[in-house]
Amino acid sequence: MVLKKASAIASNPNTAPAVRGLQEWLTLLDSQDTDERRLAARALGEYSVATPALLNALAREKSIRVKGAILVSLQCIGGHRVLEGLLPFLRSENAALRNGVIEILQGMPEEIGEYIKDLLHDHDSDVRIFAIDILQTLAHPDSPNWLIDVILHDKHINVVATAIDRLTEIGTPEMLPAISAVKARFPGEPYIEFVVNLAVKRLTEE
Amino acid sequence: MTLTNKDLDIKITNAEFERFRDFFYRKTGIRFEDSKRYFVDKRLVDRVKKTGAHSFRDYFTAMRFQASGAELQELINIMTVNETYFFREAHQFDCMVEELLDEIVTTQQKKELKIWSIPSSTGEEPYSIAIYLMERWPSIERVDIELMSSDIDSSVLEKAKAGIFNERSVQNLGPSLKKKYFTKTEHGLYQATDDLRSCVHFSKVNLNEQKDMQKYRDIDLIFCRNVLIYFDDVSRRNAAEALYDALAPGGFIFLGHSESMSRISSLFKVRKFKEALAYQKPIA
Repeated sequence: MVLKKASAIASNPNTAPAVRGLQEWLTLLDSQDTDERRLAARALGEYSVATPALLNALAREKSIRVKGAILVSLQCIGGHRVLEGLLPFLRSENAALRNGVIEILQGMPEEIGEYIKDLLHDHDSDVRIFAIDILQTLAHPDSPNWLIDVILHDKHINVVATAIDRLTEIGTPEMLPAISAVKARFPGEPYIEFVVNLAVKRLTEE
Repeated sequence: MTLTNKDLDIKITNAEFERFRDFFYRKTGIRFEDSKRYFVDKRLVDRVKKTGAHSFRDYFTAMRFQASGAELQELINIMTVNETYFFREAHQFDCMVEELLDEIVTTQQKKELKIWSIPSSTGEEPYSIAIYLMERWPSIERVDIELMSSDIDSSVLEKAKAGIFNERSVQNLGPSLKKKYFTKTEHGLYQATDDLRSCVHFSKVNLNEQKDMQKYRDIDLIFCRNVLIYFDDVSRRNAAEALYDALAPGGFIFLGHSESMSRISSLFKVRKFKEALAYQKPIA
């Protein structure tokens, strides 16, 4: 038997991590070293008071790995403060960051309900589309109704088409009249024609 | 007379199956082929009845929009029933001894490697790794391997340390391996030899507990199969970050066949070997 005999890794001092406190981790979040910033971001996920620091770091961070760690830590902390801090990132030009934020918001059904209506009525059509993306897998009972409201009232064709596309997945046959009626709101628009027909076909099959 | 939902003849239509399949894929990355239709329908109907729903539609709506996600988790559990046994998903062990370890030793000039199997469950996986290394990896003559295995559940850890298995667990082992690494108990069970058991260091670890995970660093190969699928999104991402921390630069992770790290984290590089796919922590 030549496999090395088992040793107790936990008792090996070489593997024991340095013990640091909140202040040290906050300082390391500004380190020049990417690995140190990432470790700090990971460690701060255990401190809800670190939420503002993590949100600030997210805004300035260039490393994808560190950004990912910050997002996971914010997700672990959770709550309204994190949610409100993340919403402005929906306007970010950085698609990867935006998508990361959307994924986290999708996992906060209990908190996001009170904010989603405002997002769905945002002046920026892109933000309205991102809000619809959040609804795609948001486990919230009002999701289908919010989407119906969008297809009945939003004036932007891409926003409405995206909402119909999501309803194809989470809608019910009772919503067919509302979905079909969208064609009349956008007469002669082949894209709307296409997504409505697809949704009707899918929901009718049920 | 009151009609309960147990009396209802609940059927899943083709369209409902499609919708469920799309939904489940989006949530878990697991896609059911048409050939699994019977398996899926049977379990879905069972859940519809057990939850008191009156139709698949009612059940699906309630499950999808349940904020706690408890019913979805229940579905994931029953749709991914796991049974552990020796040499399970052996193509990954083949990959380990035929390509992966040699690559690490050659490119990184290592003389000592750390392998970690988490979760250990009742020990079949770590002992399988040990047997594969001793039987199929000639370089073990010159490279030291530290084999560790962990689980969150202390009762399964005790079973793993005891190393006693039933016939079903060892069914994939040939007679010569059984003879070499096990002794038969008077109850017809198989107990791993002291030598085999001494190859694995077992410990209690919660993948989502930083304090536990911080003890594990510079690991060259992690087997983390069929566990992330049971986690919610937050825990899954957190675990992916923790596994990244635990790996040495250039180290690898094997996940279960239905799991994909690419859906969880962009930290790892996907590596396709002849026998299996692994996720690698970039060297620099």
